[in-house]
Amino acid sequence: MGQEQKTGVGDAEKAADLLVAVAETLNSRLAVTAVELARSQTLLREASGELMTAFRGAADRLVSAQKALPAGTAERRTEYGVVLDHLYRAVEHLQSHDLVNQLIDAQKLRVEKMREKLEEALALATAPIADPQRPDQWLERSRAMLDCIVAGIRQIDEDARTPIRTDKEHAGSVDLF
Amino acid sequence: MKTILAVDDSATMREMVAFVLESAGYRVIEAEDGAQGLDRATSTSVDLVITDQNMPNMDGLTLVRSLRELRDYKSVPILLLTTESSDSMKAQGRAAGATGWLVKPFDPATLLEVVQKVLR
Repeated sequence: MGQEQKTGVGDAEKAADLLVAVAETLNSRLAVTAVELARSQTLLREASGELMTAFRGAADRLVSAQKALPAGTAERRTEYGVVLDHLYRAVEHLQSHDLVNQLIDAQKLRVEKMREKLEEALALATAPIADPQRPDQWLERSRAMLDCIVAGIRQIDEDARTPIRTDKEHAGSVDLF
Repeated sequence: MKTILAVDDSATMREMVAFVLESAGYRVIEAEDGAQGLDRATSTSVDLVITDQNMPNMDGLTLVRSLRELRDYKSVPILLLTTESSDSMKAQGRAAGATGWLVKPFDPATLLEVVQKVLR
């Protein structure tokens, strides 16, 4: 083997190792992100669960009290109306909790899909090179790994085109056809 | 008493819609996706359908199209209540036969106004 080919093999091997190191680092960072997202979601779900229980208790009592109200009790009706307004405001905020939960689900899915692709890329790096003295074989493996990573990024881009939106500008808007 | 079918895969959202409508004197039945919504609509007489768009099994637009094919649902109002707010989605809703499009999170007073209007 000539000096030039030796250098070529060495460079290709280094580049392949660097790619593996980058993929491993990214994968471990995403693993941490996945854990943090899951933890945030658990905390949010617990808080939402408590709020929903309190809301349900108040709402059920109000609805049954309203139904039982005899005609002509305007004062009580006004009183219930005030409570109802407060509950209506709670409805708006509880919906936001629910939408944030869905957003976290979407982010978790994206992280999971990217990690799957990174793991696929890393699995390619464990396959033995048929002829390690040939730089083109190292390059071929690096290219296959990169294809995998790029496919993962494309998946994220596609998912981003169909997101669960909490578009403040349009929230609450109404169009009647 | 008017009966309203609320279709959404989120239990919280169904509960919110049901509370607001029941507090105004409507009867609410619930379904957790389009397929179940279609099933409920064919087994019960419904005066209004409020459906989410993105759901497993059957999405909101498919539910609208399926309901419009049924004789009993040719003129029953159907509202989409969804996070989707793009003009192209709204156009699809209109073409499918939806009566209106509301973007989440909804304001309870506005929802009641719209419901009263389409049920008139």
